[in-house]
Amino acid sequence: MTAFQTAVKENKKKSPVVQENINKEESIFSAKGLNLWYGNDQALKDINLDIRKNGVTAIIGPSGCGKSTFLKTLNRMVELVPIVKTSGAIDYHGVNIFDPSVNLVELRSSVGMVFQKPNPFPKSIFDNVAFGPRVHGVKKKAELKEIVEKSLRGSGLWDEVKDRLGESAMGLSGGQQQRLCIARCLAVEPEVILMDEPTSALDPKSTLKVEELIQELKKDYSIVIVTHNMQQAARISDKTAFFLNGEVVEYDNTDTIFSNPQDKRTEDYITGRFG
Amino acid sequence: MTVRGGFVTELGDLKEEVMMLGSLVQRSLADTMKAIDKNNYSLMEDIIEHDKVLNELELEINERATLMIAKQQPVASDLRRIIVSLKVSSDLERMGDLAVDMAKAAQRLTRSDACTNHVEALLELATKAEYMLQEVLKAYKKRDMLSAQRIAAMDDEVDRAYGQFVKGIFKITVSNEKDTQQITQLAFISRYIERIADYCTNIAEWIIYEVNGKRFDLN
Repeated sequence: MTAFQTAVKENKKKSPVVQENINKEESIFSAKGLNLWYGNDQALKDINLDIRKNGVTAIIGPSGCGKSTFLKTLNRMVELVPIVKTSGAIDYHGVNIFDPSVNLVELRSSVGMVFQKPNPFPKSIFDNVAFGPRVHGVKKKAELKEIVEKSLRGSGLWDEVKDRLGESAMGLSGGQQQRLCIARCLAVEPEVILMDEPTSALDPKSTLKVEELIQELKKDYSIVIVTHNMQQAARISDKTAFFLNGEVVEYDNTDTIFSNPQDKRTEDYITGRFG
Repeated sequence: MTVRGGFVTELGDLKEEVMMLGSLVQRSLADTMKAIDKNNYSLMEDIIEHDKVLNELELEINERATLMIAKQQPVASDLRRIIVSLKVSSDLERMGDLAVDMAKAAQRLTRSDACTNHVEALLELATKAEYMLQEVLKAYKKRDMLSAQRIAAMDDEVDRAYGQFVKGIFKITVSNEKDTQQITQLAFISRYIERIADYCTNIAEWIIYEVNGKRFDLN
């Protein structure tokens, strides 16, 4: 159980209302009337979106539509931009993540993130994966070893690197580096993995590997992925949300979005008429 | 031209090709009826021979559609258009085959009285199916859902007329084995005509699917 889950469990004991909400909701995140501004520019407008547990949710939309902003809001990484203001709520385990009681470190270890470009630390493969657990106080070598192997197996990289764990992560190929970053994310046992265009810097074969990995991971994790690659969204996601100008235009099963979208703007975007 | 613009043109070309297959099938059907009416054996031969062209055109449409899917990865309405062109062309090709079957059956008609008395009713039945085909091709071209529904409703009329025709031909007292064979061939031909009307109904269903993504059983 992650620290956040423990905290939530504690919280649940305190508040029966929260307990009731959790029972009602199948979803892991529930955005309610979410607005976000960068200074005076409103980037997200009244977003109401439930993200399902243990599934892949894809977010698509043209550049500047707010999809990455929304993703980064889910673990409050967006607040690293100083001029950000938000209103509304995002419920995670029945707790609004903007609530002052929420511990950011716990939230971010529960809700991990993988970025567009692989960003391994200039350390050994082992140390990259062991970094998070060490920060969280794991000191025993044996335990760290176990976590590193489990995480690398989880990201499908183990067989390729098991004999050179001490070598620099910078020597790995781009695709391997990205899977290393996913392993690093898995090492802190998150519940949700946010991915911001995780394959846009990878070649087709590495892309395929990461996509297969996502399919594997969704059994145990909830995944939210921002992608510019329409076919990728269609291939790997269960639900797709189409964002436009900071609003959710359409949110439905991926099968519906790509075969018979209900909104003309979604249709125009996915068929390449604009965007 | 933009990539998207090129794709739109290709979609138009694909439909044109299906329309061309449609008009070839129309011609085959009209020729078949003419050949039956005039007892024109060489025309029957032509129809059988001509079917190759239809088959080749259908393959060409398949090829073109496959390439478009492979190269453009279409989704939503674009994908439906391509899928429907495949479905419609395959239904049209089957109609072409039925025209061949009718021409072959017609070659076995020896025109005894038992047969000739019914040719007129047969041609009348065929006119209904031919009209359905003509209208459904127009509706496909214009993506006209209302017409598609109207055409599908006409299938019941053809079914009724077919039922009456078959009853009619078996009502007469057959005096010899030769007449029995003739009546059987007529029954086959009328059955093929009825099948053509069914294929037209299929196409009507595909038109609705192309336009709004919903599948209806209009049969």
